Amino acid sequence: MPLDYPVSTTTLDNGLRVVVSPDRSVPALSLNLWVDVGSRHERPGRTGLAHLFEHLMFQGSELVGEGEHMSLLMAHGGRSNATTSFDRTTYVESVPSGVLDLALWLEADRHGHLLPALTQTTLDNQRDVVVEEKRQRYDTVPYGQALAHACQAVFPAGHPYHHTTIGEMDDLLSADLSDVHAFYRAHYGPRTTTLTVVGDVDPAQVVDRAQHFLGHLVDGTEDRPPRRPTLGPSSDPVVRDLVEDVPSDRLYLTFRLPPVTDPQFLHCAMALDALASLDVSRLHRRLLRREESASGVHASALGLVDGASLGLLVLDVADGTDPGEVEAAVHEELASLGEAGPGETELEASRADTERSWLEALSSHDERAELLSRAAVSLGDAGQVNTYLDDVMAVGPDEVRQAAATWLSPEVMSTLRYRRAGAGSGGVPRTATAQGAAAHTAGELP
Amino acid sequence: MNGRVTERPQVGPPAPWSFPEPSVVPLPNGMRLLLVDLPGQHVLSLRVFLPLPVSDEERGTEGATLLMARALDEGTSQHTGEQLAELTERHGIAWGAGAGERGVHLGLEVAGRHLGIALALLTECLSSASFPEAEVDRLRRHRLVDLAHEHADPGVRAARAFTAAYFDPRDRPHLPVGGTTATVSRLTSDHLRDRHAQLTARGATVVLVGDLSDAPSAVGTVAATVGAWKGDDEVAGAPGPARRSDRAHRTVLVPRPGLAQTEIYLGRPGPDRRTPRGWGTYQVLAMLLGGAPHARLDRVLREERGYTYGVRLGFRPRSVGGTTVVAGSVRADVTVPALAETLRILDVPGPEITDREVREAADFVAMTAPGRYATADAVADELVSLAGEGLALDTVTQTLSQVRGLERDAVGAAWERCGRPPRGRWSWWGTPTGRPA
Repeated sequence: MPLDYPVSTTTLDNGLRVVVSPDRSVPALSLNLWVDVGSRHERPGRTGLAHLFEHLMFQGSELVGEGEHMSLLMAHGGRSNATTSFDRTTYVESVPSGVLDLALWLEADRHGHLLPALTQTTLDNQRDVVVEEKRQRYDTVPYGQALAHACQAVFPAGHPYHHTTIGEMDDLLSADLSDVHAFYRAHYGPRTTTLTVVGDVDPAQVVDRAQHFLGHLVDGTEDRPPRRPTLGPSSDPVVRDLVEDVPSDRLYLTFRLPPVTDPQFLHCAMALDALASLDVSRLHRRLLRREESASGVHASALGLVDGASLGLLVLDVADGTDPGEVEAAVHEELASLGEAGPGETELEASRADTERSWLEALSSHDERAELLSRAAVSLGDAGQVNTYLDDVMAVGPDEVRQAAATWLSPEVMSTLRYRRAGAGSGGVPRTATAQGAAAHTAGELP
Repeated sequence: MNGRVTERPQVGPPAPWSFPEPSVVPLPNGMRLLLVDLPGQHVLSLRVFLPLPVSDEERGTEGATLLMARALDEGTSQHTGEQLAELTERHGIAWGAGAGERGVHLGLEVAGRHLGIALALLTECLSSASFPEAEVDRLRRHRLVDLAHEHADPGVRAARAFTAAYFDPRDRPHLPVGGTTATVSRLTSDHLRDRHAQLTARGATVVLVGDLSDAPSAVGTVAATVGAWKGDDEVAGAPGPARRSDRAHRTVLVPRPGLAQTEIYLGRPGPDRRTPRGWGTYQVLAMLLGGAPHARLDRVLREERGYTYGVRLGFRPRSVGGTTVVAGSVRADVTVPALAETLRILDVPGPEITDREVREAADFVAMTAPGRYATADAVADELVSLAGEGLALDTVTQTLSQVRGLERDAVGAAWERCGRPPRGRWSWWGTPTGRPA
């Protein structure tokens, strides 16, 4: 039976799409502005621009001072953030109901009138911040580059998903003011933007206020690149060894999956559940519980729109185990899933887990707004949030088997092996106590 | 098409809202059930707090409480671990178990129609978990791997180095709640069974939040399952002391040559949630000093200098007292100027904190509450946290009321007391002589 979250979709004359889902449980609302620009739209030599741009959107616009977007909303009980990924950039706000007008006005100013405030100084500063973000999140943590390696292995050179969102350091450092101005003109406008509002509002009110504050925006964006036809499973999978300072040997087994718009994507996601996402999954039972050759097993299916998606199996190899043994076991289980399909328990658990996690996501205004925008833009129908679980429940074992045989066979899988540098030498850094300091009595607090 | 609106719109007044007040239902075994009906929240959030302070762990077996909690569903007198996993996942039940200073926390997320099976499984694990040797050996090995991974993470490593140096070695907080490689290595099924035998319903709390029309007989089901579990007769004691080490005031350097960033972690004494100055005062201080890009720390360190992706300030309450913590990663080649700048910013005299900063931070804390507590899991987490800490169930409402009326003088005085300068401990990760990558 479909869910019944109310969903109303309108497109303003200038092309801005507005999706509204009223929910009056608390006097608050969540806004999600989904801009159809992500790292897949970047040009060679200018990777990382979409994400750098997300930072610049908080640095002031024609009528809004530097940092004021966030500070003004926060002072009125709002939370504001943004994220960038392969396909899109989203700007989000969660505000008390009475702050809707201010939030829309602020968004209109930065989505339509950013360039007068976008200077060399703000660019230089936010580039420094992004470089530190890259170091903190990707360069200084173990396995931090795994996704980048996976994308290089799974997607051919020149493909929009061959590089990740954070971009290359050299590209970030060489982006200049004219690059970011051109990027904004090409990608930010009402035709590339979808506004979703969830919460204590009615749809007519949101459409009226959106028209009032955002209706004047004139679109000058480039046409969105057409989505590529389905790329198909990898024909030339790669194997790569990475010897690094990591705490344990780890395998990233990566797959090219169908685009998220293809029904087979869901079948692949459920096949990955049967393999590794759940405690009842076959790799969990075999490698973690029985053979104890792995200390961690995870799977994920990252749904993307441009002709392909990404599937990952991640396995932490137990100390003293040859990673080759784990790989061989995974090969066996992949082949067996492709031949015999999932067990009844694996399929039932996948459905039940998907149902609970989907309902959990929809219970939050912020996440419901994100899922509605995604449904509207990536999947072409905001109402998909209400029908997705029916799709999940309708998937049978043979569809999962077929997906595994086609998309998750060992023959189409690329393998990244992280091996510990100097394994066995016990290279744990020591803690050194330096410099003492004068005695200081802080006293106890009341 | 209409014209552009150049004038800033006015903001409407906040609508009335209050934190949900739970029904309190005494259960047959002495536990209490806190119940909140949140229509539209179709995944129910079930939480259990069981008092069992980690400070009671036998010396050398630190981490036994956490491993026991994690192993509760690895086998009972009726089911193997695999059978329990199957029963749980076939019904879409998400199960979590953890331990803290005061005891064990269990959490289940479940669709209303499966509440009965979730409660039955939970009760079975509480009453007859068997801690099979093979499963415990496996969990212990996995826990040791987790510890190695945490050790390799700069943020966690710095936090660990801080607590080890800050807390008195005689007291339990000197070691992580989950223990160390040395202590976890020693744990056996018997240690876990001993800890499990000390679990008691006395002083324990169950919280259930969500759309209760999906589970109309919830109260009776809770009473007949978890509410009928007996546990140990002994009442759990209070957490042990968390004294500051005599040598806490010092700098610790953790060399990691070649890293592009230095993790800076500073801490000193802070309040607990019973502070007579009001916990809300500290929520406001954390926000205005280190809670946003325009807060005092990041306004300079991130937005002006570009030294960092972000430096945060927070207060970590314990049952008695707590810590004030400042943490973030900075570019390795600016470690010294970034640290100097951080200390300069933190040295702001309380009276120099402005009315506007206090008002904006206080409004943020107060007015974001309806959105923060809109989901079943957020309300359940807050209630079980209050219950675990022995705080009144209207604490959120009282704190928000205090925050709404907060004055600059009170905030300034609180900062004078706990904030200037935070030289209680410095813990560094990285190397001040490292070069940027």
